[in-house]
Amino acid sequence: MRALVTFDHATLGYGRRVVLKDLTFTIHEGDFLGLVGPNGSGKTTVLRALLGTHPPLSGTVTRAEGLRFGYVPQRDQVDYDYPLTALDVVLMGRYDRIGLGRRPSAQDRARAMTALEQVGIPELAAQHLRNLSGGQRQRTLIARALVGEPNVLVLDEPTNGMDLVSTTQILGLVRDLHERSGITVLMVSHALNEVANYVERIALVMNEAFRIGTVADIMNETVLSEMYGIPVEVSAFEGHRVVIARRRRSV
Amino acid sequence: MFDTVLLFRDALYGALVIGLTCSVLGVYVVLRRIVFVGAALAQLSSAGIALSLFLGGYGLTAWIGGYPTVVSLVVTLLGAMFFGLGGGRRLISSEASIGVTYAVAAAAGILLVAKAAHGEAHDIFLQGNILGITRRDTLVLLGVSVPVLLVHLVFYKEFLFVSFDRETARTLGYRVDRWNLLLYFTLGVVIASAMQFAGVLLVFNFLVLPAVTGLLLARTMGGTIAWAVISALVAVAVGFSLSVPFDLPSAPAMIAVSGLLAFVAWMIRRMRD
Repeated sequence: MRALVTFDHATLGYGRRVVLKDLTFTIHEGDFLGLVGPNGSGKTTVLRALLGTHPPLSGTVTRAEGLRFGYVPQRDQVDYDYPLTALDVVLMGRYDRIGLGRRPSAQDRARAMTALEQVGIPELAAQHLRNLSGGQRQRTLIARALVGEPNVLVLDEPTNGMDLVSTTQILGLVRDLHERSGITVLMVSHALNEVANYVERIALVMNEAFRIGTVADIMNETVLSEMYGIPVEVSAFEGHRVVIARRRRSV
Repeated sequence: MFDTVLLFRDALYGALVIGLTCSVLGVYVVLRRIVFVGAALAQLSSAGIALSLFLGGYGLTAWIGGYPTVVSLVVTLLGAMFFGLGGGRRLISSEASIGVTYAVAAAAGILLVAKAAHGEAHDIFLQGNILGITRRDTLVLLGVSVPVLLVHLVFYKEFLFVSFDRETARTLGYRVDRWNLLLYFTLGVVIASAMQFAGVLLVFNFLVLPAVTGLLLARTMGGTIAWAVISALVAVAVGFSLSVPFDLPSAPAMIAVSGLLAFVAWMIRRMRD
């Protein structure tokens, strides 16, 4: 498998503030990786280093030549008051390919429609962004990421603030995209229980520590208790793993 | 009535150019929620005019007093650069730095004019004088507005993308800070050129109200810009035409019409939704 992104002893942070030290790991072509950790743990910093928008303080982050990311930002990062339709937003994913000062062609529009079909909402192309539900907005942003024909799909907290049904549908859609096209996926989330049942590998960021491995490697009581700093239980229910903090017994 | 208006047709043309250009840029100002950056830049521009009058009046510089627009432009562009690069948000919030700039620039403008030679006579530079616009002034305004509008026409999708979702634009290789800087630069140029004719209040009006009207009426970006331009031009034409024969101050008359159009747009939107 081709290495797409390699962190080699990378120390990440801002100015003099170190967020994470000495990260060494590789994202390979075809990976389905979940980057999981609580808010403020440094997930966004890892994400920015990976995307190349924030260089490491030391060490290196190497990206394969010609690598393209399809980035899906957190939903609240986007302003839904803009007078844009779903199709307008999806087209933005091709802006860099269209080139400076040029307008999208009929072919670009056709590709944008295909991307909307891939995420299951072609009928909403002409709908105003403001009128879409949370799940539909997220699908629109995923379509925008796909229309640029990326090698890696990167989703930042894709289910944040969503109800159970929308969460399941969005995570199912992402897994479906991965299985159908083999696209490499990196999903950033604070919700370990959600992500663990969809991804193939997990990178856990917590208390300045970083651990990466297969789901089976990470989803075990020893590793998680050590990372979270509290005793946890990992239960399985119909093939789904669930992490629960162990309740303290009163004496 | 129209004969009286036609006496001031150069002023009317100048006001139309200001209304047109400010209303196009105003769509970004409102969508990016930086309306008070517009106000702060307008105030900085007026402080620049005051600074040039102050220095020129005291003979501190041989030429500067003759070109208040140049000083105003420099001061406004420095402000635009400051806000375009984040407005010092790492230390204080953007809102706070806008507020500080607005208050300090307003006070500096008043103080500098008060101590400039023939200060009272120069108040007109700070408040604007729409009726004083000459044909030459209109040509200067066009000389500034046409290139700015062309830049916005050519780089429409780039400005839209970095305004709508800067983080994603950055991942696609856009130099977001540079695009922001260019957007703020065009804003600064337009404000500085319009300020000495239109004054702070009218420039601020044209940066905000037509865009609000456009956003209330249209469902697309193109429609929003079109409605913003139409409402600005109508506000200028109607406000100006009423102010001259009825001896009303022109700028407040245009602002009143802008307000009325925004209210009508709001009513239409309410009925439609």
